[in-house]
Amino acid sequence: MARYDIAIIGTGPGGISAAITARVRNKNIVLLGSRNLSDKLSRAHRIDNYPGLPQISGADFAQALRDQLAGLGIGITEKRVASVYAMGEYFMIQAGEDILEASSVILASGLAAGKTLPGELPLLGRGVSYCATCDARLYRGKTVAVLGYSDEAAAEAEFLSEIVQQVLFFPLGKTEPQERDNLRILREKPEAIEGETTVRGVRTAGGLCEADGVFVLRDSVAPDRLVPGLELTDGHVAVDLEMRTNLPGLFACGDITGKPYQYIKAAGQGNVAALSAVAWLRELQEKKEK
Amino acid sequence: MIEKIQNNDLHKALESAYAVVDFSAVWCGPCQMLAPVLEEVAAQMPDVAFFQVDTDENMELAVQYGIQSIPTLLLLKNGRPVDRSLGFMPKPKLVSFIESGKNK
Repeated sequence: MARYDIAIIGTGPGGISAAITARVRNKNIVLLGSRNLSDKLSRAHRIDNYPGLPQISGADFAQALRDQLAGLGIGITEKRVASVYAMGEYFMIQAGEDILEASSVILASGLAAGKTLPGELPLLGRGVSYCATCDARLYRGKTVAVLGYSDEAAAEAEFLSEIVQQVLFFPLGKTEPQERDNLRILREKPEAIEGETTVRGVRTAGGLCEADGVFVLRDSVAPDRLVPGLELTDGHVAVDLEMRTNLPGLFACGDITGKPYQYIKAAGQGNVAALSAVAWLRELQEKKEK
Repeated sequence: MIEKIQNNDLHKALESAYAVVDFSAVWCGPCQMLAPVLEEVAAQMPDVAFFQVDTDENMELAVQYGIQSIPTLLLLKNGRPVDRSLGFMPKPKLVSFIESGKNK
């Protein structure tokens, strides 16, 4: 597998700024995100404090960023990053169905929306799971609930129904699976996950839907779930002035590092993160030569 | 070295002063990521015995220890479960998880 120098996760102003600097420094990069760049940016009516671009609209700003990427020959790899694993001297990135390798990573994926449900974290690993493909087989012959927030949730529920006895699907996003004998769709709003030592079920206004396991499938995940072992401060990735995180070789920039949630700050941090990644790569290289 | 458990037979782990038991499976992505990190840690901790339990092949053990999500690392001290951890961990965190379990 080819190993990238730098994997940049996120296509808001932070990630794009990092990509530009990294490319100018001749690094072999992969930029993971969306052709639409960033929902937040495309919805911005007007940006008033970006030096040199007075009162530019979010849409125009996004177009200018796209043009700049194209001019530098930087493509966008449209894959959802599920996990980043710190392997020691490098990183493994689960992106869609693929696994990518990179010597360093810049995390610029923005704010993780969505709060956790009551009971979700205390029961994690005690019936609550975030990974259908990982844990499906532990629920053979049992009943599981799927909280389907993400676009992939419907497909994952169908996959689960091939293994477990009964799937209860709560459609909370845009997609829903085909109903079948052992896959029921429940149009109720989950309020909490209940259980003492293990999951008992999903609490809704209508009562308790009993289940042995609950798969919570969201689009955006908290940063420390995206990158196991990553240190947070108040829900944001903890970084120093060089945009270093607690994991050597992993840097972060933009909204994910905390307030202010501003484009100009994200772009500035993206630049610093890329330069720090370049410095880190040089250190790695020097270590190898010794 | 990490020893593969077969036929739900955990007796060697239970007889070790300190043992790390990795409940995992071949089809689980995070388990595959954790495995090489665990190998590295095992190589530098000679006083701890490392075992790997394929949950497909050893379902009884998985049920016995209430494993509902993998990878789960179970820490045994003289056969007694003292701590467990869920999901992938980078090496330094893995080392401190095992070290802190020794005092439990």
